[in-house]
Amino acid sequence: MEVALIGNPNTGKTSLFNNLTGSYEYVGNWSGVTVEKKVGLFKNNIGKLIDLPGVYTLNPLSKDEGVVTSFFLNEKFDRLLNILDASQLERNLHLTLQLLEYGKPALIGLNMVDVAASRGINIDIDKFSHLVGVKVVPVVARSGKGCDQLVNVISDEKETLERKILVYYGKDVEDTILLTAGELEGKTNHSPRWLALQWFEGNKYVEEYLRTIINPQKMEALLNDVTEKVKVKEGGKSLPHFIYLKRKMVIENILTESVSKKKAGTPLTEKIDSLVTNRYLGMPIFLALMYVMFMLTFDWLGTPLADLLDKLLTGPVTNAIEKSLSVVGASPFIHDLIIQGLVAGVGGVLVFVPQIFILFFFISLLEDSGYMARVALVMDRIMESVGLNGKAFIPMMIGFGCNVPGIMAARTIETPRERLLTILLTPLMSCSARLPVYALFVGAFFQGQKALVVLSLYVLGIVVALILAKVFSSTILKSETSLFVIELPPYRLPQFQALRRSTWDKGKGFVRKAGTFIFAGSVFIWVLSYAGPGGLKVDMDHSFLAAIGGVLAPLLAPLGFGTWQAGASLLTGFLAKESIISTMNIIYFVPKGENLQGLLSNYYTPLAAYSFMVFILLYIPCLATTATIYKETSSKKWTAFSILYALAIAYLLAGIVYQGGKMFGLV
Amino acid sequence: MFGHLKAGEKAKIINISHVGHLVKRRLLDLGITEGTEVCVKCVMPFGGPIMIESCGQCVGIRRKEADCIEVERL
Ligand SMILES: Nc1nc2c(ncn2[C@@H]2O[C@H](COP(=O)(O)OP(=O)(O)OP(=O)(O)O)[C@@H](O)[C@H]2O)c(=O)[nH]1
Ligand SMILES: [Mg+2]
Repeated sequence: MEVALIGNPNTGKTSLFNNLTGSYEYVGNWSGVTVEKKVGLFKNNIGKLIDLPGVYTLNPLSKDEGVVTSFFLNEKFDRLLNILDASQLERNLHLTLQLLEYGKPALIGLNMVDVAASRGINIDIDKFSHLVGVKVVPVVARSGKGCDQLVNVISDEKETLERKILVYYGKDVEDTILLTAGELEGKTNHSPRWLALQWFEGNKYVEEYLRTIINPQKMEALLNDVTEKVKVKEGGKSLPHFIYLKRKMVIENILTESVSKKKAGTPLTEKIDSLVTNRYLGMPIFLALMYVMFMLTFDWLGTPLADLLDKLLTGPVTNAIEKSLSVVGASPFIHDLIIQGLVAGVGGVLVFVPQIFILFFFISLLEDSGYMARVALVMDRIMESVGLNGKAFIPMMIGFGCNVPGIMAARTIETPRERLLTILLTPLMSCSARLPVYALFVGAFFQGQKALVVLSLYVLGIVVALILAKVFSSTILKSETSLFVIELPPYRLPQFQALRRSTWDKGKGFVRKAGTFIFAGSVFIWVLSYAGPGGLKVDMDHSFLAAIGGVLAPLLAPLGFGTWQAGASLLTGFLAKESIISTMNIIYFVPKGENLQGLLSNYYTPLAAYSFMVFILLYIPCLATTATIYKETSSKKWTAFSILYALAIAYLLAGIVYQGGKMFGLV
Repeated sequence: MFGHLKAGEKAKIINISHVGHLVKRRLLDLGITEGTEVCVKCVMPFGGPIMIESCGQCVGIRRKEADCIEVERL
């Protein structure tokens, strides 16, 4: 049995999905967290559960909404599990009515009953269920309350309630539905009533589908006829609006009979909102929060933890490995490979795990609290002036964790032009894999102002993105249309459990990559640095790696870091940004008792170090990001563009920093 | 006109037909249409967006769109 989860955005579908399948998919408190279909197995093995993006209606505006409509048209499933937000029933029921017209067995999960209760909304479940004509189970997806009962009802194969037609759309529309149904006879497995109504409402996906099975001219005639009739009889109303109003009437009837409301006090949400979206305080509060986040990650908490881990790895752990190597009698080659290659390469990356986790913790906090949508609101004015909209800020914030989900999140942006622009610019957001480079360099060169220097890089990423947005939107991506309507969810106190899971879920990718990709990469890099045209165990300056990196060195000289070492690290950085650090740890192999930070001052001046960080920030989307850009734009041209413009802008800016700094007498 | 309302003021929407097609559709999705009662929650500076509330649901829209919505003060 396959059950499809469907409902309005931000109603807790994914929370329920996680609860019922025991998986962990992305949950957050804003609309449009889930942007593609996810499949999981019920814990008790009764079948598959399919999580879908949230939609308000089946008539899509944006790409993530289109995913749902295509799913309904093209894929097979047995049941619908419609999730409703009990505190927003009126709006939610518009979708429910469309789902019931679809005609598959359905079940309603009434979620957020806790929120509804705190707002003084009381729902008579039996009456409601009777009026809608499907079974209704109240749940709290966040805590798991009611989930057992829900599973029981799902597993119960027979549908007991009588299905009735809830909305009567008036004679003209109903007649046209029948005519359309006649045309469709025997040509489709979908409910003709549903297809016809979706088509009347202007659903492009359904129209496309109908075109393949009925004569387009006949379709046009039918639609024109009914549109005209409705227009004449209903005082100039458009057909989609007329259908909307009919549904609305039915919904109002259902609600007056089954829902009662008491007065409740001002919710806490509004008090918080009067502060964080305050006219004057909104922006300063956002910047202050960012500052605290960077201080904790790079200074107050992150650095001491990373140092501790570093001592542990270079001290006891390395000693233990060396001891066991000598016990098993490893050859010098194996010994060097493990100590100089693996321990240096992988260990050098693992050291930054505490800092990465702190950053992810903050991102999770932002996502789960409901602040994300507020940031989009506060930022909209600036974004509008560069040809984007505030919603584009959400993918960018997510991009601070990792660019890949950031680019995926751009699916919720409705206009294709703004979406493309967001996809192209999100890689400029400094992802967590770039963090180790900063941590290393600020530790070595900017002891006093660690957090400030790093913050300057993050802000530089944002500023460059905004400037380029302006440039692109007034040259190659010109268009007037822009759409900004954003739902601001109520604040929810993040739960420790949820935060822990979502931090771990993001962070484990980093750890896993260190154990696989970086592990293999370290071996490869070390071998390249060990072998050379002159044979094995050559001096590193004559190795293959030096030869490869040396090709780039002259090009990089104007930026202040024209060494083969920098060239080689940048090359590996395209594969994954973490490899920059692991490569550096291998090539600047650090003798015992010293650390890489101390050694770096032999190769970089502080100015060159800053220029290097600027270059790393901007220079190229990593391999995984490039693949995602290609998948999301399905255009080779834009993918190539995203790489080339990044290289150009990185070269330009790093050059300006270095040469300009030199002119002002900095070193 | 919506744009002239201050934070805290309540109004009823009487005409939304001058707003762009896409924005109108999205507002309709959120249950905001002719006849809806809304309350202005806050107004961002420099002509930025405004935040409105209806039926316990907060929504942010741009000022220039808000200016196209005709309302009647309550
Ligand atoms: N108070 C309360 N909060 C809930 C409940 N269910 C979910 N939430 C919270 O609601 C927010 C949205 O949850 P998600 O599961 O991401 O919602 P979704 O429907 O998958 O959202 P989209 O993927 O954006 O459509 C999260 O912050 C959850 O913690 C509930 O029953 N009560
Ligand atoms: Mg979801």
